[in-house]
Amino acid sequence: MGQSIAATGLTHNPAHRRGALSSRMMRLQNGVGAWLFLLPAVVFFVGYQVYPIFRVLWISFTDYQFLTNEPAHWVWFKNYAEALSDPLMWASLWRATYFTILFLPGTIILPLLLAILVDRVTQPRLATLYRVVLLIPAVIPSTLVFVLWKWMYNFQTGPINHLLVDTFGLFDARDAPQWLGGTALTLPSIAVMEVWWGLGYHTIFFLAGLAAIPKDLPEAARIDGASEWQVFWHVTRPRLAPVMMILVVLRFGSAMAVIDEYLIFGGFNRETPTYTWTMFMYDEAFKTGLWRQGFGAAIGMIGAVAMMIVVVFLLRIFRPRD
Amino acid sequence: MSEAVHGDTFTPAATVLRRRRRRKGWLAQNQGAIIRHAVIILFMVIILVPLAWVGIMSIKSLPDAMRGNFWPKRFDFTHYSYIFQRIDTLPRNLFNSIYVTAGTVFGTTACAVLAGYALVHLKPRGGAFVIAALLVSLYFPVRVVSLISIYEIQHFLGLINSTTGLILPYITLNLAISVLIMRSMFQLVPHELFEAAKIDGAGPWRTLFLIGLPMVRNGLVVVFIVNFVTAWGEFLLCTTLTNDQDARTMPVVLAGAQGGLGQWSWPNLAAVYVIVVTPGIIAFVFAQRLFFKGLAEGVIKG
Repeated sequence: MGQSIAATGLTHNPAHRRGALSSRMMRLQNGVGAWLFLLPAVVFFVGYQVYPIFRVLWISFTDYQFLTNEPAHWVWFKNYAEALSDPLMWASLWRATYFTILFLPGTIILPLLLAILVDRVTQPRLATLYRVVLLIPAVIPSTLVFVLWKWMYNFQTGPINHLLVDTFGLFDARDAPQWLGGTALTLPSIAVMEVWWGLGYHTIFFLAGLAAIPKDLPEAARIDGASEWQVFWHVTRPRLAPVMMILVVLRFGSAMAVIDEYLIFGGFNRETPTYTWTMFMYDEAFKTGLWRQGFGAAIGMIGAVAMMIVVVFLLRIFRPRD
Repeated sequence: MSEAVHGDTFTPAATVLRRRRRRKGWLAQNQGAIIRHAVIILFMVIILVPLAWVGIMSIKSLPDAMRGNFWPKRFDFTHYSYIFQRIDTLPRNLFNSIYVTAGTVFGTTACAVLAGYALVHLKPRGGAFVIAALLVSLYFPVRVVSLISIYEIQHFLGLINSTTGLILPYITLNLAISVLIMRSMFQLVPHELFEAAKIDGAGPWRTLFLIGLPMVRNGLVVVFIVNFVTAWGEFLLCTTLTNDQDARTMPVVLAGAQGGLGQWSWPNLAAVYVIVVTPGIIAFVFAQRLFFKGLAEGVIKG
């Protein structure tokens, strides 16, 4: 299969030519057929993912502005130098990191705990019911989750402040917490929302990992007198490591690159905690002045490279050791 | 009861334990199970309460909505008819959402099935490279970084402000994970099955549709739901690539609506919300059995 068509074309032995030709045709037909099946996916993948990334990389080396007729000039690393010497670049990277620090532990540990509890439920009906409820937030589309929580966090009419002010009387109407809108509470509030959203989905992930552990392993450990904690730490945890690795790396990636939430909850005020590198990029490329997309592209690339460095680091930490 | 003793097979230690437990009362005996269910139910409540809140909000009378009590004094079911009669663009936005989502789900599922089948059973040259590229794209913040170029492409194709145009970038949002899921689903189908069909004279298309598709049903459900959820709720591309309220989808309209009085009063907003969020939940509850099977077979390994 792996043999190249050009190489088979070099067989000059006349006795084999006929056979070689027909088998070559077969192989060619087969190869073309296979690529015909692969083509739609590859066209979309290249057209809307691979090409755009390289195009943005190219743009980041130019002074391209969208709302002008002047041709773009190649400026080498000028955009990068400008971005890296801008304190806002570092502040916006830190904001994204801070959000990730707030979000990541909760979205791994809570589902893990919940999965261990749900895994022990053996009544089939109850187990199914729990799983269905768990996955309901996962089938609510992203924006609808954000809109729902935007209402919940509303300063005046939201149910959370209603509960705190009117029901429990912990605050009065003026000093009630301002959950969103650029306060120090904004990123923690968004992190809580994200944990809620992923809670069920991640629990299902861990449940699948737990289902793969043979039941007699923890049983044997218990009979040998291991405490529940020891069973978890020495039997369950190492076997869940691969699932945990996938979740940590993927969620790190989504948390660092959050943008929809910030567009919906925040705005383009450069002082607010939701103005992360993604917002900085969006602001420069689609909102400010003549849409300096060259500069915006450089900001995006810096953010992406910073993320990839951590991802590679994480993959090395979690690399299975023998 | 059954789970208190679950797993205690025939080991003497377990028998001793069970006897000891039997002497205590029911409550003490099931203490662990009771605490466990209590904690699980607490989490279930945390998941369901926000949804219940918005559901009840949509049938509250206006004064009740302003007061903010969870349970209203008076119900009012007219908000659902009001929003369709009085908010001009709403039917249009709803139609846009249905149209874009249908196009995206069909497009991505078709691409993923064809590619997954080809990668496993037709073994094209360079297949391994394609798989590696798809995997890498999962770890790279493609959606955000590619935005500038996608705007340029859509502008070049004359698709800015076009609802149909949104389908093209939408198809790629979950393409990588969909192809990888379908690939691991097709890996579960024995290769001999396809070989036999080939010997019987069936071409690759017939083989795929008559033999392959029924075998990967569960994976199809997962791909279907994942893409439905993404397209139905997409915000970033829609808000960037369209300007007119008429061309936009429901999530962008909802995110932009400021709750208050008049046509966007809280109960009206909540009614719109319920209309948008319910189809997905209903579809999922019906398909959940297939979904969980598919998740276990395809996603975890993929």
